[in-house]
Amino acid sequence: MSLARKRILIAKPGLDGHDVGAKVIALALRDAGADVIYTGLRRTPDYIVRIAVEEDVDMLGLSILSGSHKELVEDVIAKLREADAGDIKVFVGGTIPVEDHEALLKAGVCGVFTSEMKIDSVIGAIDRELAEG
Amino acid sequence: MTDPFPRRAIARELSRVVNAPVGDVLAEIGDASTASARRIGITGPPGGGKSTLISALAAHRLEKNRDRTVAVLAIDPTSPLSGGSILGDRIRMDAIADLPRLFIRSVPSRGARNGLCDNVVDLMTTLERHRFEEILLETVGIGQAEIDVRELVDTVVLVVPPDAGDSVQAMKAGIIEIADIFVVTKSENPAARQMAAEIRGIVGARKSASPPAVVMTAANGSGIAELSDAIDAHHHARDNGDTAERRRHYHLKALIGREIDAVLSGNGEMARGDLRSSYNRLLQHLRRY
Repeated sequence: MSLARKRILIAKPGLDGHDVGAKVIALALRDAGADVIYTGLRRTPDYIVRIAVEEDVDMLGLSILSGSHKELVEDVIAKLREADAGDIKVFVGGTIPVEDHEALLKAGVCGVFTSEMKIDSVIGAIDRELAEG
Repeated sequence: MTDPFPRRAIARELSRVVNAPVGDVLAEIGDASTASARRIGITGPPGGGKSTLISALAAHRLEKNRDRTVAVLAIDPTSPLSGGSILGDRIRMDAIADLPRLFIRSVPSRGARNGLCDNVVDLMTTLERHRFEEILLETVGIGQAEIDVRELVDTVVLVVPPDAGDSVQAMKAGIIEIADIFVVTKSENPAARQMAAEIRGIVGARKSASPPAVVMTAANGSGIAELSDAIDAHHHARDNGDTAERRRHYHLKALIGREIDAVLSGNGEMARGDLRSSYNRLLQHLRRY
């Protein structure tokens, strides 16, 4: 499994009230062998980008339930680039309507995962994305 | 806001060093011979409040000295089953995470079983090369016997929650003996002062100059200044003349230990036959290196 020794940040931007999904993903990634840094709830894009840089993560997962995924994702990706960390891959999970997926992928995320998806296939997709380098 | 240090470059260097075999580490860190940073180790049982304490302590020390730079290395346990880890210490450090003169790095323990992590000394040396003045090292939540941190840092702070109860008795031989400063956290708990008194009783009965026991609540800052002063007092009272030499000894032992592990796990033939000839073969192999 290519997730061994990979560093992945799971972050919650915005005003979501719970982080059940984020924790499920974090634990599943750990069980697949990754080192997972978790931020806790309600973090700003600046805060998340600073942690992504400091922790030198291979990938950043944003968990968003609030509906403001477009703004938050664009903001995080822009700030990663400003910090000279545009090479860090970003995926999004949470409550994301299907019609928004295309726009998010265009904005630069490498995957959009929703709660209907099986956890194994989410982990598999992240694994493949990281294996590509 | 301009960064006082090259954050991304340091972060990447740490990534290279953390997984590197001995030869690569030597190439990366060069000749690290000076004891430059103050190293403060924060250790204690799981859930005792180490991360919260580090957050408050780092904030206090950065505030007190406006030129100081501080790095935090926070170690969390690696799952022995999956090899993965959840590095969650940062959640308790959110109040300080945007301070400019601070750098926080979370590290999994990997193969280490001593409350530290593989390559920990190389990580500290890397931070020192970037001229951090202080390094706060948070160990994995420990039991009683993980005392390696003693050799690695200048000041050992043992963090004990007030409800630790009998586990303090269990620590009597071990971690309590090597701590320089004791902190009882969650001082709003009525049991905290009693726990501090108990610790004073245990260490006072043995040591000539008994180490201070501070009662604190990180959440409201109570006790933080006292702890910070105790760390400074300990630093000034101890003999720092041999620090560079002690650090070098520890570093060498760590490098050799890892090299031995690498050779033994990579070459099944090495340990074949009787003990003496295996030993000689191993020595010979290391000499070639």
